[in-house]
Amino acid sequence: MSANTKVTPRENVWRDLPRNLWSSIFRHPLPSSELGQAQTSFTNFFLHIHPVKVNRHTLKATYTFGLGLISLFLFIALTVSGVLLMFYYVPSTTQAYDRMLDLRGSVAFGTFLRNMHRWGAHAMVAAVFLHMCRVFLTGSYKKPREFNWVLGVVLFLLTMFSSFTGYLLPWDQLAFWAITVGTAIAGYAPFVGDKIKFLMLGDTQVGQEALLRFYVLHVVVLPMVMTLMIALHFWRIRKDGGLSRPPEADIAPGTEAMSVQVIASPAPKQSFGLMGIVRGPFTKVGNVPENTVSAWPHLLMAELLVFVLTIAVLLVVSLLFHAPLEEPVNVMHPPNPAKAPWYFLGLQELVSYSAFWGGVGIPGIEVLLLILAPYLERKPGGTGRWFAKERLLPNTLFVTFAVVNIILIIIGTLFRGPNWEFVLPW
Amino acid sequence: MKLPLAIASLVVFAVHGVVFYDQFFHKWERYQTAYFDQVRTQTKSDAERNEMNGRSPRIEQIIVTSFGDSRVDRCTTCHIASDDPRFAGHAQPLKTHPYLKELGDVQRNGVWERRHKFNDFGCTVCHEGQGRGLSEHYAHGEDHYWPEPLLGYVTQEPWRKDLLPGLKGKEYMQAACAQCHSEENFAQTPVLNRGRQLFFESNCYGCHRIEGMSDGVLGPELSEAGKKFKIDYLTESIVDPRAGMASSFMPKFNLSPADVKALVIFLKSRRGVNLTETSLSVFRSRLHDAASVSDTKPVAPGAADVVARGKQLVEDRACAACHKIGDKDGGIAPDLSFEALMKDNEWLVDHFKNPRGRMPDSIMPAFKFAVADFEAMTAYLATLKTPPALGAPADTYKALCARCHGDKGDGAGPVALYIDPSPRDLTKVAFMNSKPRDRFVASIQKGVHGTSMPAWEKVLNEQQIQALLDHVESTFVKEKRRELKARKVPEKNPVASAKDSIARGEQTFLARCTGCHGRKADGKGPNSLDMLPHPRNLRNHPFVASLSDQRLLESILYGVQGTAMPPWVDYGLSQREAGDLVNYIRSLTQASARPQLRAGR
Repeated sequence: MSANTKVTPRENVWRDLPRNLWSSIFRHPLPSSELGQAQTSFTNFFLHIHPVKVNRHTLKATYTFGLGLISLFLFIALTVSGVLLMFYYVPSTTQAYDRMLDLRGSVAFGTFLRNMHRWGAHAMVAAVFLHMCRVFLTGSYKKPREFNWVLGVVLFLLTMFSSFTGYLLPWDQLAFWAITVGTAIAGYAPFVGDKIKFLMLGDTQVGQEALLRFYVLHVVVLPMVMTLMIALHFWRIRKDGGLSRPPEADIAPGTEAMSVQVIASPAPKQSFGLMGIVRGPFTKVGNVPENTVSAWPHLLMAELLVFVLTIAVLLVVSLLFHAPLEEPVNVMHPPNPAKAPWYFLGLQELVSYSAFWGGVGIPGIEVLLLILAPYLERKPGGTGRWFAKERLLPNTLFVTFAVVNIILIIIGTLFRGPNWEFVLPW
Repeated sequence: MKLPLAIASLVVFAVHGVVFYDQFFHKWERYQTAYFDQVRTQTKSDAERNEMNGRSPRIEQIIVTSFGDSRVDRCTTCHIASDDPRFAGHAQPLKTHPYLKELGDVQRNGVWERRHKFNDFGCTVCHEGQGRGLSEHYAHGEDHYWPEPLLGYVTQEPWRKDLLPGLKGKEYMQAACAQCHSEENFAQTPVLNRGRQLFFESNCYGCHRIEGMSDGVLGPELSEAGKKFKIDYLTESIVDPRAGMASSFMPKFNLSPADVKALVIFLKSRRGVNLTETSLSVFRSRLHDAASVSDTKPVAPGAADVVARGKQLVEDRACAACHKIGDKDGGIAPDLSFEALMKDNEWLVDHFKNPRGRMPDSIMPAFKFAVADFEAMTAYLATLKTPPALGAPADTYKALCARCHGDKGDGAGPVALYIDPSPRDLTKVAFMNSKPRDRFVASIQKGVHGTSMPAWEKVLNEQQIQALLDHVESTFVKEKRRELKARKVPEKNPVASAKDSIARGEQTFLARCTGCHGRKADGKGPNSLDMLPHPRNLRNHPFVASLSDQRLLESILYGVQGTAMPPWVDYGLSQREAGDLVNYIRSLTQASARPQLRAGR
């Protein structure tokens, strides 16, 4: 009571409670000035991953097509829908399929969640692949972004592995035989193939042990590793000065090229502290006329658009197409042909010619080449433009590899019938 | 940027609207509300009216644990009136499940009481379908992937419209009855019983194995046919055996649609383990009745006319489902119309008892008929002595040879697919011109042992055979015979048969012959599939025994022209090694002949 008497008459606890609460959570009012925008970005946890200012080139839709963001948003959508599905799923060979039937029949929104998760997973594999194509074809992995490319390749592999492990969980014929085929491909590795297969399955064939392993990998291990990798991926984007762009994108139209030289002035010793360590051309030193706009609202609006578009497409697809659920597992009755998930059908097609080269040799070489690409292509130039003339050779090689893989996947998906014989899909 | 953002947001909201609508306005809620309304208006008791006022739609389910794996049947969510006798006149889904005396329901004081109470049995135990589903499409099993659609009501793949009407009907549920009422001739499953009878009457059991009933090995095992296959597939497989698998040699039986249905219901009831059995009880019963059941009624001995009985048996047991007898032709097996001219009684009885004893690669099932039946059938076949009317050599060939050797003489006659070793391709010039004419004459006159080539000497005389050979040479071989090279092959095997010779022969065989003839010398080596004619089965004892040492040695050393058998002298095989091989080959058939002959007695 005594505390109450000390309150100055101008302050009313109850009347001001909402405002006090609001301003304690959001330190700044909706920004109206550039300073406010910068402050908001800087102090908000969810926004601080953004730079305060962002280059105009980065916002060009035809440069990135938002593919990295689409991948991220799909990852988030998959996490949310996946967690909701986990409330109903039991990784047991006797219960898993019944749980699928329950999800389809009687769980509220069960069908829709499953559809979202299924199609989202397929879309994410595709989006991550296209994102990788974008980064390669614009030469974005050149110095200093080499290692971030490596992280990206690892994320691509993790995405495929996540999708693959999730494939088994419905425990229907499709799941069982796709994983049987997929793990058989791993078994073709020399010397360690059988051991790898046994490690993945916990048994000599797909069964309860494999289901439990794939479940744990799918819902705990892989998402955690991927979250960490995504954080590293983003951190490096910031530290490397934002997205790649051609050197001329840093010069505002109508300004003199000479202003770039100002950047080269030595970093101040005391007053800027940590900021002085930041390398690269984006150091906020001096009053450089940069070709930038505020991240708030320009970058945020762009991200919001990509988010809403991604979710809208995912929702519509999930509404129109149901995730397949085939017969309950019948170990004695393999479908003919038994096919791996579509993104591995290129490998399966290769395996049909040669088990070792298709299953291990060629994919191994391809992954190795992908990882080494930024260390093999050392010639500077051509960064930040699609199909730059200077990079004709690497681009041609990459496109060839990508197209061959896509053709193999198309053949494996559509043109292969019983006994893996060639059939026409119509 | 704002317009696409607005449109996309609108789409997001619209989809949410649709999904929420679907989620909160189920069809089954409407059915339940309708039921509550009707009961409220019909009932005379206030208590029930109040109860109905207090009820709101909810998922109803019956958890069935007594019949196999536990089931969750949510059928009564829509069929909520199934146990309410007031709704007998309503349309589905609000219709009372009929009370039927056949099901064991009884009427006491005007009130029906069910034998199979829904709370104990659920619905899918009898009806099948998917108990967990709540929409018609999934619950009734219309979903292509659900293995057990509602029996007799739902078919998933109307791929053959002509079969569709036959796939509907309550009778199909008898297959589910038999999951508990497995006793033979259970009175409430008449169609299923008829199917079981047909399984034996139509010789199905000769080829197909069903555990505890039959031991056929030629066709796929059917012990779990009901678990593996849906009724549409079963029906198609009986009506048109080659629809599913082009290489099937199952005959197309002429069954009436009602019989097909009965067979399908019987097969659909075969699911390995019965709902009332545990794996332990199955194991116990298997221990007890290890002796197999013979389900054919033995014919009483001493009946008036053995031949008439044999004829009856041959007709009843559908021999013409495969063989040709007079006008009836199964198109699978040899012509029996004048069998007495080609085979003696001893051969026939032996062949009945164990078809593979006389012809090791025959596909004829070993039927487990009574010996008296075999003798009666033999007696009937022994009366078929009328030789076919013969005309010009070309007509003779058509009448007698074309069934196996084909109209074009290429060994691809209509039944050739089922004959092993396959009929000789008479157009292979290299073979035809490398063997002396006497050998062909002998093959026609005496037949070729261990193969389907019968002895024609009682049908064709020497002159007719020569004319026939002329016809074959001029029509199919078409090339002039060349002088045969004289080869130095000893008449008798120069190497005496002894343990060490056989052991050496085995080593040579493993090194040189297994690629085509196989490790077991059964002619099924890894290369054999691509070869026509297929490599010889060297375990065919009647065939091997009928060959002279000289012919075996010649075939090994100088090859068989027109086949894949190469002249091994060119590959450095000595005469002594060939002699060892002959001893080895003969040792194989001597070892394998004994148990098979014993089985035949």
